[in-house]
Amino acid sequence: MRGFWPLFKRELFAFFVTPLAWVLICVFLLVQGLHFFVLVEQFSAQVSATADVSPVSAFFGNTVLLYLILFLLVPAMTMRLFAEERRSGTAEGLLTAPVSTAAVVLAKYAAVLVVYVVMWAPTSLYLVILKRTGALDLHVALASYLGVFVVGAGYLAIGLLMSAMTKSQFLALVLTAMVILSLFVLGVGEFVAREGTTMHAVCTHVSVWAAMADFSSGIVDSRRLVFYGTLTAVPLYFTVRVVDAWRWG
Amino acid sequence: MIVVEQLVKRYGAREAVRGLSFRVAKGEIVGFLGPNGAGKSTTLRVLAGYLAPTSGKVRVAGHDVEEDPIGAKECVGYMPEMVPLYPEMRVAEYLSFRAELKGVARGKRRGRLDDVLAKARITEVANVMIGSLSKGYRQRVGLADALVADPPLLVLDEPTAGLDPNQIREVRDVVAGLRGSHTVLLSTHILSEVEASCGRAIVIAKGKLVGEGTVAELREKRAARGVRAKVDGSQDSVRAVIASIRKSLPKLAGEPSVSVVDGLVTIEVTWEKEVSSGFREAQKALAKALVEAGLGLVELEPVRGRLEDVFAELTLAPAPSPGGEADGPHEPEEAP
Repeated sequence: MRGFWPLFKRELFAFFVTPLAWVLICVFLLVQGLHFFVLVEQFSAQVSATADVSPVSAFFGNTVLLYLILFLLVPAMTMRLFAEERRSGTAEGLLTAPVSTAAVVLAKYAAVLVVYVVMWAPTSLYLVILKRTGALDLHVALASYLGVFVVGAGYLAIGLLMSAMTKSQFLALVLTAMVILSLFVLGVGEFVAREGTTMHAVCTHVSVWAAMADFSSGIVDSRRLVFYGTLTAVPLYFTVRVVDAWRWG
Repeated sequence: MIVVEQLVKRYGAREAVRGLSFRVAKGEIVGFLGPNGAGKSTTLRVLAGYLAPTSGKVRVAGHDVEEDPIGAKECVGYMPEMVPLYPEMRVAEYLSFRAELKGVARGKRRGRLDDVLAKARITEVANVMIGSLSKGYRQRVGLADALVADPPLLVLDEPTAGLDPNQIREVRDVVAGLRGSHTVLLSTHILSEVEASCGRAIVIAKGKLVGEGTVAELREKRAARGVRAKVDGSQDSVRAVIASIRKSLPKLAGEPSVSVVDGLVTIEVTWEKEVSSGFREAQKALAKALVEAGLGLVELEPVRGRLEDVFAELTLAPAPSPGGEADGPHEPEEAP
């Protein structure tokens, strides 16, 4: 793991001294703020709210907005991680330093994951608002954030892998978006395939929609955690292999 | 310090390095010469651990680059050809990041940083954003980066490319300052570079070793090849003199050239390449004949083979190998 810490610091630095992270965070918070505003308006207009639908579960689950945001933001966050280093040649300086490839990959991943968490952090203010004005189920909120974290972690790992596979940031962006879109479309199969078939089972398992519906109603299903854990670990493993393979170029 | 044995590096079907072997001993400053595209950068990248050899053994400071890559990289300070830097960082920030990355202990970092800033003469731009530096400064930041962890071996890929003459001299001074304490392998396609800073040169062409030797040995190859004389007199009388002593001169390469420059007749006589002795006698004979003919001898100087000619000779000749493939057109070595 030699070199992890300095690389992690540099990567975070690169995110925050360039406008990219700020632009992404601003866009994200603007969209999420509007989303929350609309939800609160809607809920306050209802006279009798049903017991299992709260603003929190509506914010995190059963909404297309969350996937849209991930679909747009994750590729933009991960595209430059490796592609830029290779295009500008800094990869040469990076890989001729006495550091392990795993450290390089994990440092970049950890940095982008931190940015992702920082991006979500201000939304916890919404919980404070909800708590002050009504009831808030903390378990549901925590489960929802766990869901957002594991889904994001998986998507970011995919984005990192795509960035390592090409020298072009744009291509990395497109590839990542396509994989995320494919996963989403596969998940939609849950509603299309006949119940009881293997297809349906697979689609339900993969479906980010179903996963977030679970998390946002406070259900932490270990199958979901294993799935997203795998979706994180496997791309990271292949990223290490891909970066090692640059040497054969 | 460096042992390269039968190194082969293939990019797809193209062979950039074809069975290159050489050694560099501890404390040497060695020039790595070759025309563009000879495989210099590829070889240096293998040494630095950026590229994997297709086959062959490469050891730096006792570490095999394939078996112990981290150990090998720790001993090498590498400066790539297109010095890659993060434009959004300040010079000092960047070098401090590199020092930490290369495992320089926290307590020593400040000292190392000041040391390399001074050595590479970039102290005045320490707080400047790298993105706004000129090429010369970026090159020197690259040099500082290579030096920052104080590795025993430095591998510099064209350290003076794109610099102005003053900056070239400064970089040479830095390299000269490393003599004795460090081993340096620096690539270049400029010969005077090697003469100025290196004790020995390794010449490669088309991925193969074509020549190796000390700078003195290289100079040897460009020993006097002829003589040039300037005399006060008429062209015809000069021609007559040369014709009279021609038999006593070594074999000439072509006719002597006679021309008038600034009112003086300039004669240039070039010996045939195979001629290896008798230059001095020939020079004396020519001078004597000119003076005896009553012509005022103003200047007499040996014509040296330019180092460039030696270089061309080494790198344009078909590589001396049993395979002997000589692809691509190459210039005839000498005038017919």
